[in-house]
Amino acid sequence: LSKFIELVIKVPRNFRLLEELEEGQKGVGDGTVSWGLEDDEDIMLTRWTGMIIGPPRTIYENRMYSLKVECGPRYPESPPFVRFVTKINLNGVHNSNGVVDTRAVAALAKWQNSYSIRVVLQELRRLMMCKENMKLPQPPEGQVFSN
Amino acid sequence: MAENSGTDPTVDSNVVENAASDGTMIVVTVKTPKDKEEIAISEDSSVAQFKEEISKRFNAKQDQLVLIFAGKILKDGDTLNQHGIKDGLTVHLVIKTAPKTTVGGTSQSSASSSGTPQANSSINPSAVPNASTTPGTGPTPASTQPPNLLSGFGDLSSLSGMGMGSANFMEMQQQMQRQLMSNPEMLSQIMDNPLVQNMMSNPDLMRQMIVTNPQMQQLMERNPEISHMLNNPELMRQTMELARNPAMMQEMMRNQDRALSNLESIPGGYNALRRMYTDIQEPMFSAAREQFGNNPFSALGGNLDSGVQPSRTENREPLPNPWGPPGTSPSESRGTGASTTTTSSAGGTAPSASNPLGINASGLGNGVFGSPGMQSLMQQISENPQLMQNMLSAPYMRSMMQSLAQNPELASQGSNPTAATNPSQQQQQLMQQMLQMFAGGGGGSLTLTPEVRFQQQLDQLSAMGFINREANLQALIATGGDINAAIERLLGSQPS
Repeated sequence: LSKFIELVIKVPRNFRLLEELEEGQKGVGDGTVSWGLEDDEDIMLTRWTGMIIGPPRTIYENRMYSLKVECGPRYPESPPFVRFVTKINLNGVHNSNGVVDTRAVAALAKWQNSYSIRVVLQELRRLMMCKENMKLPQPPEGQVFSN
Repeated sequence: MAENSGTDPTVDSNVVENAASDGTMIVVTVKTPKDKEEIAISEDSSVAQFKEEISKRFNAKQDQLVLIFAGKILKDGDTLNQHGIKDGLTVHLVIKTAPKTTVGGTSQSSASSSGTPQANSSINPSAVPNASTTPGTGPTPASTQPPNLLSGFGDLSSLSGMGMGSANFMEMQQQMQRQLMSNPEMLSQIMDNPLVQNMMSNPDLMRQMIVTNPQMQQLMERNPEISHMLNNPELMRQTMELARNPAMMQEMMRNQDRALSNLESIPGGYNALRRMYTDIQEPMFSAAREQFGNNPFSALGGNLDSGVQPSRTENREPLPNPWGPPGTSPSESRGTGASTTTTSSAGGTAPSASNPLGINASGLGNGVFGSPGMQSLMQQISENPQLMQNMLSAPYMRSMMQSLAQNPELASQGSNPTAATNPSQQQQQLMQQMLQMFAGGGGGSLTLTPEVRFQQQLDQLSAMGFINREANLQALIATGGDINAAIERLLGSQPS
């Protein structure tokens, strides 16, 4: 019996991700971040691409940063894995592979199941606006992390 | 996919035939951080054509435009179809105001305003292919059908649009989902949502959703009964209904416990039962635990109670108190209490299949109701299901009675040593019984009046001392059967 209860609770993971998918397609939010499934056929709704538009008045301005977000089976109980694809110099992002350090990003470090992919992307964008980040020298536009 | 807007239920906008393009027209919202425009375009058009329209509307050069949809940058050479851009969806736009190199557009080399030397066009395209090949699938298939699940939802969301008037089935789900995780009562509210019920009554969809969930797959591996259950849409629906009401869920679990307890009282059967359930419960617990990060409680649809500790002193409060002071609801109390009293002699609380928390049902019984008179009543009841039926008013009690009647059968099987080797069968039978019972109870509750639906809660409330039945009922209706919330309401309005 409790199996079914578990089942009922787990199905919501998919509901939730589908809902995030729809939000991404409808452009919920302020339009400075975008997200969607990496592969439309991904039934598990695991791999997502994200895009952050560099905030104005920072060194990231007008750049578009592509990311990969991976929502594991425990999402949204567990935070997603986030990785920059576009090269970026940002505190909390590994210089070598673009992986976002969970401890450096508050939304990931203190993850709550009410957070979403959008929240993570928006937080990363906010980090770009921080004093400690906004003037960091950046690699030439268009470069990507080698994975 | 050749789509006629007439067949797509989600299309609300007018289809404007534009001589300039073939195919159906769709209206796409183009959003910049500052601005938002709706642009009508043929759904077959390319990104370049789309940009043409956009550049007119936004008064910007085409090569200044960068379009983003669902986290991907749209290349001029792509088509809208390719990215799954449909009517009513939103595309993000960035207008590069400074003469930076554009993505996929004509090549320019210049310094960015931020001072970082810009790579020239030869490097830029790498960003584009990267963005668009990031998906890893290369050219996405022409048919950008969302996963089956989503198309299932698509249909249902249109249903919801019509039926509910809410913008978005998904939004509702999200809200509910969020709250669900933190607030168990939300589960019942969710289930009350006619939309959800709609979906629940689509067993194929539910099955799909469930089966594709990796956790479920694990579960299914460990417990083949689940696949069996999944193949039985009736059962699933029943489970869903059951899950609607957290109080019912608890009740169910307790009932199962009680049924087990009954069996326990039969000499020989007790041991077999215990063994059997130990076999079952272990894998279930570990399945539950690992999926929920050692928090079996979340597996139970949120908390059985707020702030629950995995101890035996699991909440007594929300437990419907059918075995309240014997005078209050004698019929129910006798029935349920007796079984717990029986188990009280069993002592320790090995967690049962339905009781991953190791709730000591007997402990509860003891605390609330330890009269040996109940035992005899219990026996009477098990001998005479009719008697119980007459006495019981709560729907679930009726089911419990059925289980009691059937239990002696099980018990005899249980005492059979072979039963221990067929735990899954026993389990399955028991579970099916339970589910049926509660389907009977749950299904019944769907059609009953609030008063009858909330009968159990009403009894609880009155057992707790809220004697104003009218007020109780009102509170329950207002809170949708949520006892705790109802109590708060009642306390808010009356000093006692």
